Amino acid sequence: MDISMELQNVHKTIGKKEIIKGLNFSIRSGEVFGFLGPNGAGKTTTIRMMVGLMKITSGDIKINGISIKDDFKGAIQHVGAIVENPEMYPFMSGWKNLKHYARMIPGITDERIKEVIKLVGLEKAIHEKVGRYSLGMRQRIGIAQALLHNPSILILDEPTNGLDPAGIREIRQYIRNLAEQEKVSVIVSSHLLSEIELMCDRIGIIKNGELVTVEEVNEEQENDQHVTVKLEVNDNAQAMTVLRDQLGLEVSEQQSILMLQIEKNDVPNLVKRMVEENIEVYEVALERSSLEDKFFELIGENTIA
Amino acid sequence: MLNFLSLIKNEQIKLYTRMGTWSMYIILFAIMLIASLIVVFFGEADEQKYGDDWQAQVTAETEELKEAQEEMEFAAFDSEIAKNEYYLENDIKPHPYDAWQFTLENAGLAMLISLFTIIIAAGIVSNEFKWGTIKLLLIRPISRTKILFSKFVTVLLFSISMQIFLFLISLLIGLIFFGMNGLNPNIVQMGTEGIEEVSVFSEIITQYGLYMVNLIMMATFAFMISTIFRNSAMAIGLAIFLMFTGNTIISFLSDYDWAKYILFANTNLRQYIGDGSPVIDSMTLGFSITVLAVYFVIFLLVSWLSFTRRDVAGN
Ligand SMILES: Nc1ncnc2c1ncn2[C@@H]1O[C@H](COP(=O)(O)OP(=O)(O)OP(=O)(O)O)[C@@H](O)[C@H]1O
Ligand SMILES: [Mg+2]
Repeated sequence: MDISMELQNVHKTIGKKEIIKGLNFSIRSGEVFGFLGPNGAGKTTTIRMMVGLMKITSGDIKINGISIKDDFKGAIQHVGAIVENPEMYPFMSGWKNLKHYARMIPGITDERIKEVIKLVGLEKAIHEKVGRYSLGMRQRIGIAQALLHNPSILILDEPTNGLDPAGIREIRQYIRNLAEQEKVSVIVSSHLLSEIELMCDRIGIIKNGELVTVEEVNEEQENDQHVTVKLEVNDNAQAMTVLRDQLGLEVSEQQSILMLQIEKNDVPNLVKRMVEENIEVYEVALERSSLEDKFFELIGENTIA
Repeated sequence: MLNFLSLIKNEQIKLYTRMGTWSMYIILFAIMLIASLIVVFFGEADEQKYGDDWQAQVTAETEELKEAQEEMEFAAFDSEIAKNEYYLENDIKPHPYDAWQFTLENAGLAMLISLFTIIIAAGIVSNEFKWGTIKLLLIRPISRTKILFSKFVTVLLFSISMQIFLFLISLLIGLIFFGMNGLNPNIVQMGTEGIEEVSVFSEIITQYGLYMVNLIMMATFAFMISTIFRNSAMAIGLAIFLMFTGNTIISFLSDYDWAKYILFANTNLRQYIGDGSPVIDSMTLGFSITVLAVYFVIFLLVSWLSFTRRDVAGN
């Protein structure tokens, strides 16, 4: 599997404060990598080092095999990015802003600019001054700016910040498209798991400048995995007897919903037993995200570092 | 190179999309217009219209000046008197006030251009930090050195275009109000070795050029301060404060020989030409040019180091 970005033991010290304490991870080609952590964890600092805005105190970052330290131009030409808020020149129109950045890289045609504008859905507002844009529109023009030169790596620092649910869904869709159809590797940072969970292939969790874990986000749980099952039936008392006495499971009742933990393998059997006992089953739901639990488990309460 | 030209184009667009820049041109234009009206209504334009008996007029004028000189201790009409005597001796009829004269006098408005250029120089780097756009600017495959110098060149281009604007509009306004004595008439003035006759055009270029020296030094200074502190208000304040107090500071220190190494002792090259005299006796034109060059290089070097070496962190 190709690696498009590699962080090698990256440290950052500002003054006497060690902000990033040795990050090691890689981004695979064409994957969407979530960079998750609470406020002050060091996400933006890491991203600033990835794009050369900040020096790496020790360690190295390689982009398509090229070190950002040794060959800035060679490395950065593959990267498009938003760092923190996507600020543009407020006194110029969206179009003029994009032209401005386009001039800085040879070979970007007006057709390409129009293509990108269409991709982010800004056709209507493109000739208005950016100063009048809403936060969501600014996020979009920020992404447009990052895509101009067909980068192979896209780095988006909190791209969902300020977007409404529809906007988040839209961004999610075109980030997935970019990754799947154009093989762009995407790094998205966020402090909210729920906002990026659905668009990421893997999620790295950072806390206090250290990488805590990297998790695959797989749609389907393995069959021998323990899952939490929520059960809604017509007769709770009868169902609990069956589950406890016949199947030997631990059951709890929350707001007239039965909750229990079993292996995924055993779920069909459980449903069969219910039906055999003439219990009417309205809903069987598997609690999805073990990642969320893990996130809270790892991060603890949401304290600022 | 193509790259660099695109950067300059970008800077020009950013500069001229803002109203503030245009208002500088408008203010300069308004001041030129007011100056011309002052000359029309209260000025010397009429007095200098000599008739056929100009010799008598000039002689009378000279007598008056001489009397005034004797009566008032501090009156210094030496050069005026010398000029008049030169006219009479060489049988040159003094020109009436004209567009060239007006343009020459307006060279002093370069002070205003200095002010405007300082404002531009102080903002061109620090505004990118203020707007947050610096982050998007520096993540392109272009070196920070090139970006910084495209900005510096833009400041120079701005000041030059303002100078050209001043020159052309002065000439135009002058032409409308005062007319013109030929395409490039000679004028009589006090030179280093007594009275001399020079072409008005070369005199204008000299004057504008001399002001330009001061202007470029102060703009480069403001550029440096704004690159270091990433704050335009501070750079504007400091540069303007020094521009206006520099000469006073030097006159306080003129007893010390080391004062000649201070920037402001050298920015006014007018001290070496015409009837000027150096602030400190041991100074020469060559010395001043060397000192200025050294300051210029230091200012740019410090800007460059600060811009290329430092992190772009959050505010
Ligand atoms: N220029 C700086 N000087 C000193 N400390 C800094 C500087 N920039 C960031 N920090 C510190 O580094 C830590 C990480 O900050 P960073 O902005 O990377 O966090 P983040 O993960 O992006 O947080 P958020 O979710 O709030 O955006 C914080 O504790 C912050 O105080
Ligand atoms: Mg951040």
